Amino acid sequence: MTDRSIDRRVFVKAGGLALVSLGIDPIFLTRAAYAVRRPDGPANARKTLICVFQRGAVDGLNMIVPHGDPSYYQDRPGIAIGRPGKPDGALDLDGYFGLHPSLAPLLPYYRDGSLAIVHAVGSPYPSRSHFDAQGYMESGTPGVKSTPDGWLNRYMAHARDHEDTPFRSVAMGSQLPHALRGSSTALAIDNLQTFGIRTRPNTQDRVASAFEELYRGSASGLVASSAEEGFEAIRMLKAANPSAFEPENGARYPTSAFGRQMRQLAQLVKARIGLEIGFADVGGWDTHVNQGASQGQLAGRLRDFGGTIAAFAQDLGPRMADVVVLTMSEFGRTVSENGNRGTDHGRATAMLVLGGNANGGKVHGHWPTLAPEKREYGRDLAVTTDFRDLFGEVLVGHLGSAELSAVFPGYKSDPSRWVGAMRR
Amino acid sequence: MRDSVQSMDAAANRSARPQRPQSRLRRLTGQFQQLAVTRAVLSQRQLYEVLVDFWTNHFNVFLGKGQVRYLAPDYIERVIRPHALGRFEDLLVATAQSPAMLFYLDNAQSVAQGSEPPRLAQMEQRLRRMQTTRGNRMGTQGDRIRQAELRLEQTRARLPQGLNENYARELLELHTLGVDGGYTQEDVINVARVLTGWSANRPGQRGARFVFNTWAHDTDEKIVLGQKFALGGMEEGMELLRMLSRHPSTMRYISRKLCVRLVSDDPPDGCVAAGARAWEASGGDIREVLRAIITSPEFWNPELRGTKTKTPLEFVVSAVRAIDAEPDKTPGLARLVARLGQPLLMHQAPNGYPETQQSWVNAGALLNRLNTALGFAAGRVPGAKIDLTRVVALSDDLDEMLAGVNAAILNGTASANTLRVMRQQAELTSDRRQARAVLIGYAIGSPEFQRQ
Repeated sequence: MTDRSIDRRVFVKAGGLALVSLGIDPIFLTRAAYAVRRPDGPANARKTLICVFQRGAVDGLNMIVPHGDPSYYQDRPGIAIGRPGKPDGALDLDGYFGLHPSLAPLLPYYRDGSLAIVHAVGSPYPSRSHFDAQGYMESGTPGVKSTPDGWLNRYMAHARDHEDTPFRSVAMGSQLPHALRGSSTALAIDNLQTFGIRTRPNTQDRVASAFEELYRGSASGLVASSAEEGFEAIRMLKAANPSAFEPENGARYPTSAFGRQMRQLAQLVKARIGLEIGFADVGGWDTHVNQGASQGQLAGRLRDFGGTIAAFAQDLGPRMADVVVLTMSEFGRTVSENGNRGTDHGRATAMLVLGGNANGGKVHGHWPTLAPEKREYGRDLAVTTDFRDLFGEVLVGHLGSAELSAVFPGYKSDPSRWVGAMRR
Repeated sequence: MRDSVQSMDAAANRSARPQRPQSRLRRLTGQFQQLAVTRAVLSQRQLYEVLVDFWTNHFNVFLGKGQVRYLAPDYIERVIRPHALGRFEDLLVATAQSPAMLFYLDNAQSVAQGSEPPRLAQMEQRLRRMQTTRGNRMGTQGDRIRQAELRLEQTRARLPQGLNENYARELLELHTLGVDGGYTQEDVINVARVLTGWSANRPGQRGARFVFNTWAHDTDEKIVLGQKFALGGMEEGMELLRMLSRHPSTMRYISRKLCVRLVSDDPPDGCVAAGARAWEASGGDIREVLRAIITSPEFWNPELRGTKTKTPLEFVVSAVRAIDAEPDKTPGLARLVARLGQPLLMHQAPNGYPETQQSWVNAGALLNRLNTALGFAAGRVPGAKIDLTRVVALSDDLDEMLAGVNAAILNGTASANTLRVMRQQAELTSDRRQARAVLIGYAIGSPEFQRQ
């Protein structure tokens, strides 16, 4: 399956915002404003950032293993990942860090320079509550709980050279994550195939426009604007039909919820309906009990995580030049294993940047070491990179955002603190 | 109602039989979730069911975590429901001692550093006796010793070996004080130490019971929120839970959360303070707190009326009630609530489902509700028997049916625009039956019906 349907239509740019097409419902024309097929548009109009949130605080130390740090093996007698070369050992990256063996599908991307890793990254505000810390990471304002909107939404509100479409930012799922909430449009979709009004095909359009009238005249606030986005999205999906895109290049997504989410985000990228920000959630990282080592609970979650991201990159193939996947998690876990062969809430963790002009093949960041005196509270990997510096670097390096002060209010962004995860 | 409970018990008994555990479990889960929806629909005590839902969500457990699935029916029947309108302190203690919560938030696994259960010492003793018994260390005796050594090692490896802060943290942050309630990481650790030994006997498909393991309890002195705990034993934990139930932060935090549920996503201070005052005066009597909130002027402020949007559960339950449909014993309605984004008792994180519209209202979610509305109108919602005659009788007078639907489903609140669109769409058919279905579909799908 290659690009289709859109090609058959004629698009004319008018005033930089409207487009004219043949064969689409006339009401659509007056309201449509999106960026299908605009190779001549601003460069960033073709770029997509996919954010993956590992909810529950992933153990960064077993995901990206510091096998060169002696404390790692001392403090994790039951759950450490073996040294590279040992059976089921870490997959060496640079002689000091290694990948968890379940992340083997990502190794080729590290080797070919498209996967960058950042270690010891986290929040400057030391909350150990999942919900607070997720809130801080998604609002982009650590320490301030009242921020109603998310950093990705503020990015969209301030980067105006990319046109708004209902598909400019899409979260896979039934709820909109905090990071995407705010004044800019954002869509939460469970399933592209069943999105829309499900009546008999010959009545769908009529019923949809009746509901649209109902909501335009009788609703207000968030309900009204959400409904409007929904009806516009229905029209766009009908024209672009992203569900018809099959995985390419032999990519095989795991049959997990995360696999389905990423597969559909790839379809949206291929359909070129203006996706700039995609958001996916993957949970199950809160490994307080029986975390396992190279096998077990965490290994299983990482297999899904790594296998899905690798399938996504394989599926998009050359398109990955315009797509970056950024992973994040609210905090890391304690250096020492606890009494239940698990780990408790800690501080810094590791994040991945894949695709686009990621400065891959390196583990970035300032490694504080796991030496007891270098730990935060004597127990946790210290945060040496503020997550806002990484997110900011990716926004600027990939999407070309210049207004980081608006994206991260109250934070003075300074490129000298950037770890170099993006090539400049 | 009693039928559903019995069929659920029957399912639990069936699941004790050793066959196809996965499908049996799924069936049990579905029936159990459907039971919650059915009670919400049929109960004559609507406020009570609202509170049951509120507390189930406040003291969230997750069916997907190991044994919690088997323990959850007991949790709802004997922990949440009997205390939903009782004293908060009793409810808090009941949750703290419930096997479902003890396993969900790992307190069952939290033991004092270095403590060991007596059976481990017994095993060690037996092994030593075997080792010192004179005789051939080769052959059978040697094998027996090696087996005993291995068993001891395996038992030790399976045993919890220290403090687990998971429950202690959520107890303070989510169940009582609230995240801004003024506690520190040190308090979290000390709460965990106070609650060492609070555990449950081995869970299985037949359930589990609360036990206090004296051997696992940390007997040193602890200080929580400035108060010393040195009583020793289980009484320490009881004292702690009493203190938390009476803490001003708890009163305010939970009163506010109730106001968010009952008044507005951003409730005015008046009703929150009224609830907290009633809490203090009544010693945490949930009825009195509710009475204070519901009789506060803020609750009746017309500007706050209809500002809350229904959760998926509220949407489905109110639709079933509005058209007077009859829930059946299949898990159909529960699955519908799940498809709309709120699979009951399946929220993994301990904060439970959100109460505010920001989390529930988005384009995709609204479209799902519209489709559900059409499904109700077409009589094809699984899990309920629908007879639209119970909403309004067929009539040749379209306006009569329109008024009937507006009264039955929207409480007469339909706006002029909504009435106009409903009528327009109903006019497209000459079939009275179909016209009635159209009216009902658009009524349930209308913005007015999305309001709580």
